[in-house]
Amino acid sequence: MSNRFVEQGLRSPVNLTWEVSLLCNLRCSHCLSASGEAAKDELTTAEALALVEEVHQAGVFQINFGGGEPFMRPDFEQILDACHERGIMTCISTNGTLLDAARVARLSQTRLVAIQVSLDGATSSTCDAVRGQGVFARATEAVKLLAASSIPTSINTVLTTHNASEIPAMYELAQSLGVSLRVSRFRPSGRGADNWEDLRPTPSQLLEFSDWLAKSGDVRTGDSFFSLTSQERQGLGLNLCGAAKLTCCVGPTGNMYPCAFLQTDRFLAGSLRDKSFQQIWDSSEIYESFRSLRIHSCEECTRFDQCHGGCPAVAWHLKNDLSGGDPECLERCVTSIADAAKAAA
Amino acid sequence: MGAAGIKLHPACRVRQEGFGLLFYDSRGPRLLFAETGSLLPPDFFAETRSRDELPPGLNARQEEVLRNFMTKLLERGFLREQPLC
Repeated sequence: MSNRFVEQGLRSPVNLTWEVSLLCNLRCSHCLSASGEAAKDELTTAEALALVEEVHQAGVFQINFGGGEPFMRPDFEQILDACHERGIMTCISTNGTLLDAARVARLSQTRLVAIQVSLDGATSSTCDAVRGQGVFARATEAVKLLAASSIPTSINTVLTTHNASEIPAMYELAQSLGVSLRVSRFRPSGRGADNWEDLRPTPSQLLEFSDWLAKSGDVRTGDSFFSLTSQERQGLGLNLCGAAKLTCCVGPTGNMYPCAFLQTDRFLAGSLRDKSFQQIWDSSEIYESFRSLRIHSCEECTRFDQCHGGCPAVAWHLKNDLSGGDPECLERCVTSIADAAKAAA
Repeated sequence: MGAAGIKLHPACRVRQEGFGLLFYDSRGPRLLFAETGSLLPPDFFAETRSRDELPPGLNARQEEVLRNFMTKLLERGFLREQPLC
């Protein structure tokens, strides 16, 4: 990945995360957006369809739908159809509980959709402790339906301290079901902030995961682990934060943010009810600040070229400092473990 | 079976940027930044082309560069071969 072209500024994002609703039938303890009830004044169907056209005109290649549970929106398939009619690729992050054979058959009619089903453990006890009683079984049934269809499907697992030891088993589970595995980083936003200390992986677990990831080239990370990315995985994804450069986020009410983990007033780039998608992308001061963000404190690090300071959202949530460097990067995990060993001695 | 042509892979997209063309492959996902300037419009990839076809008005050097570029796109999976008719 060349940073030079990204730093020149792209005319629109490559992809967009769109949280279409906060409404969700689950209450996962790590939920990045604390979903449950719908947000007040979510985009109407007409507004959502108008946004699809704006995004198309801007040249965005892909929309990654999340929430909330996207299928809780009665018009969600209509929004998907509007994307696909315009050739926009889509990826849906779902808990799987609302997928049945009829819906999978409808979604299979396009070649433009991919689906990620969330499962947070290789066993029902681990997964359901985070996602709720019976969810593992229901989500697994959804994965089976999808695996039998033409839809590219993956299991998406958020790495926590409780499932870290099960990641290889998750990989085997995904393989046995005929789908791929994607592991996402747990970040302290939404309910994830409330449950951060209980769920965050330890530095040792992060290092162990990094080693495993280096040997597991077919595991996707959605670029969320570039702070841990080893040399072996270079070229498989990003080596820098893409917020406001390659990607951005639209929330349920049409507010735009740099990324899904920074959906607060502090990081509001603009409202689609006031300005167009292109205007906000081109001229938001928040986006400009992310494009010029430099993590100077990390520049002397030997891994700087591999992560460029890591995830600013984690730095913000944990240290209240966007430019302070990722507190959970590979180097800091190593240092943290060494410090702990020294203290114990 | 007709002669082999080339076409953008269905999993890929391309658009114009200031530096040239930006290719996106959803299978990775991965990106390819091509400093083609305005030599090659993204619409060129909207239909199946013969292997030798290039936009009109190019000089010999530009044609050579773009032919090599097309080969690279094919090797990297952004383009795929398919029958012309």
